[in-house]
Amino acid sequence: MNRIYNIGVVGVGGQGLLTLGRIIGLAAIHAGLDVAVAEVHGMSQRGGSVIVNVRIGEEPSPLIPVGGADLLISLELLEAARYVQYLRRGGILVSNDFIWPPPLARYPSRDEIVKSLKSREIDLYIYDANKASVEFTGSTVSANIAILGFTMGVDEKLGEILGFEKVTSALEEVFKGQVLEVNKELLRRSYIEGVKIAEERRGSR
Amino acid sequence: MVNPLLAEKGSRVLLLGNEAIARAALESGICVAAAYPGTPSTEILEAIIEVAEQCGVYVEWSVNEKTAFEVAYGAAIAGLRSLVAMKHVGLNVASDILMSSAYAGVEAGFLVVTADDPSMHSSQNEQDNRWYGLLSHLPVVEPSNPRDAYELTKESYALSEKYKIPVILRTTTRISHTRMPIVLSGEVASGRNCRGVFRQDLSRWVLVPGNARRRKLELAKTWTSIMEKEGGEPFIRIINPGSSKVIIASGIAFSYVREALDLLNAVDKATVIKVNMPVPLPRAPVKRVLESASEVLVVEELDPVVEMQVKDIAQTEGYSVRIRGKDLIPLNYELSIESVYSAVKEFLGIEGKTPWESIGVVETPTPIPPRPPVLCAGCPHRLTFYIVKTAANKAGLKNPVYTGDIGCYTLGYQKPFETQSTCFEMGGSIGVANGLARAIDNPVIAVIGDSTFFHAGLPPSINAVYNNSHIIILVLDNLTTAMTGHQPHPGTGVSATGKKTTRILPEKILESIGYRVYVINPMKTKESIEAVTEAFREYKNGGMVAIVSRMKCALEVAREARRSRVTLPIYAVIEDKCTGCMACVNLTACPALIVEPGAKKPRIMSDLCIGCGLCASICPYRAINVVNNPTPGYEKLWWEP
Repeated sequence: MNRIYNIGVVGVGGQGLLTLGRIIGLAAIHAGLDVAVAEVHGMSQRGGSVIVNVRIGEEPSPLIPVGGADLLISLELLEAARYVQYLRRGGILVSNDFIWPPPLARYPSRDEIVKSLKSREIDLYIYDANKASVEFTGSTVSANIAILGFTMGVDEKLGEILGFEKVTSALEEVFKGQVLEVNKELLRRSYIEGVKIAEERRGSR
Repeated sequence: MVNPLLAEKGSRVLLLGNEAIARAALESGICVAAAYPGTPSTEILEAIIEVAEQCGVYVEWSVNEKTAFEVAYGAAIAGLRSLVAMKHVGLNVASDILMSSAYAGVEAGFLVVTADDPSMHSSQNEQDNRWYGLLSHLPVVEPSNPRDAYELTKESYALSEKYKIPVILRTTTRISHTRMPIVLSGEVASGRNCRGVFRQDLSRWVLVPGNARRRKLELAKTWTSIMEKEGGEPFIRIINPGSSKVIIASGIAFSYVREALDLLNAVDKATVIKVNMPVPLPRAPVKRVLESASEVLVVEELDPVVEMQVKDIAQTEGYSVRIRGKDLIPLNYELSIESVYSAVKEFLGIEGKTPWESIGVVETPTPIPPRPPVLCAGCPHRLTFYIVKTAANKAGLKNPVYTGDIGCYTLGYQKPFETQSTCFEMGGSIGVANGLARAIDNPVIAVIGDSTFFHAGLPPSINAVYNNSHIIILVLDNLTTAMTGHQPHPGTGVSATGKKTTRILPEKILESIGYRVYVINPMKTKESIEAVTEAFREYKNGGMVAIVSRMKCALEVAREARRSRVTLPIYAVIEDKCTGCMACVNLTACPALIVEPGAKKPRIMSDLCIGCGLCASICPYRAINVVNNPTPGYEKLWWEP
């Protein structure tokens, strides 16, 4: 069996995580690959902590083992810190630069979270997907698309597995009309941004 | 964009396990599908609804699982293929008719889909519904992944028709809610004939004792035939035969076993029996493999249903083979690749490290706070809970006990509301209130959602009046079945397929039973507090009162506002006026109200606020105001179904 490529998609229920997981799944189909996308519905989804398990490979079982994720995409920083243990050593974490604290909770500051994430043996990217979405669409609703584009740019392996065009085709199955056009363009822009950042980082090494 | 449910034969489509079941049922030519929504089963019917009219299938959201079962069963005894779907606990509600349907049987393929929820992602227990197969003497078919679910749904219709009995298709959360590419092997039948015939047969359809006794013997015969004759594909498969070590894996456990053996490079070190019909376990193939085995490991999620039957076969046949199962495989919660990998590794005596190594838990000076599910920003339940608690104080209602029920509002058990002190099962709020009122002197308030009220709230409401149980009923009417993803119910006046139908109002029902009903609009906070205070006073004077709090689910309102381009109000905290008393934060626990580390005053996240106005009405300093230009008449969105 080929090795399975494991992607954890995490964040807060309502941030478009299921759509993001589904788009990656559809892109995998376009790339002719087998995939499993394990979602969470119902009560756990109401503003709760959510993980969508995406596993690309031959006949995968549904759940990513702790320490088995190659890539973690997080729409929120507290959730990035909560789920980072799913990453393997050297895995990639792309997190939205956004904190959405649970009601009535005490929580660490952005700097504290980023500092502790940096102390781990991972490849860390922090990207303001909310801002990218707002700048282009007027609201944060497409932050999931922005972070996907950016991730395609920084994670070469994912780029190889799926290919940018395959992800674009996946968008065509999920959105239509104006929303589709906007999301396609947002995906492209954030992808270019990701590629640029990844090149800068390689250059500085 | 073609709906994948209608994609052509040969297409490779990404389907959720539940959608795969729906597609297969359509290919199998079903005429009737009914369900009551419940995670993780809901999308089966939702998928069918989307294409029902095109395919000529009758589909409905029934008021509860028992009725849904009866609707689909009624069609099946008249010779039409049908489907009923529910979550595991829903089968408890439908268990009465399940048992009888086994005796009377069917005239056309009839599938009972039960979606179990190991680990209780969205449920009050994790019962293993394969037991229902043993209890009712009906076969249980269990897929290992969504692709299996697609094929086995079709096979189950054939099985049901072959033996003229209902078939239970059992999925779990990770089958129902996992998407996989599926190559469609059939077409969705078009132009189906959905007129059945009911053939009078008193000895079969009328289960009086004499008939039931005869039918029981028929059922026992069918049960034995299935056990003895269905010993091959697609219900059981033997992989790599001849090994002395045997792994028997049922349902989803097979997916984990397959991956574990791959990772251990041990595919040729064990014979694997892939079980897709755990009940009744086909005896012949298991016997054949056990005969030459030295050690067996049974891998299954939750209870040892297959393990028990394997031990029974070994005992009956006098084999001395050692059978292991729940000593190595967890009995509780869902399985994972980690747990199955370690068990298989130990069973096969393989040494070495696990292929995963976590980078560990990240530690921050202030720990990462837990994030349990919460009521959404703008949720009507938040307003109602605030109103009811304030009114209870005003009316001098001392230490009320709030019995709770199943829905988003169950989250009201949390601080600061604490307006759910119990939560057991559908309708339990009112039923248990009847009993508590007999046992304690505190006022008892039964809190129940609209859909739940129609599901199981009516009998205990009647019981309270009939038997003079002094309770208060609070119906939270958000005009939808919210938690499962917004399905209509009798109180909405809309059918599953979006057609207008008779709207049945909870207040009319309660009035006719004998309650004095107060209907409130919780967005009008002050008025509502007055009305509920009056209701509580009447209760204190011995009256039977009920309150219906009507305001639409905030998620629906937000969606409709986007669709119809209505701007809803957005509130903000006015820095100069805010004293940092935190009343808004502490009394609402609204996810849109945040206090950043080190900050003295709260802030409203404008992306999340949809303008319910509760925080503004609570603020003692009038420091929370609308900061945008809402569309005039936006309030209607919160009221109209």
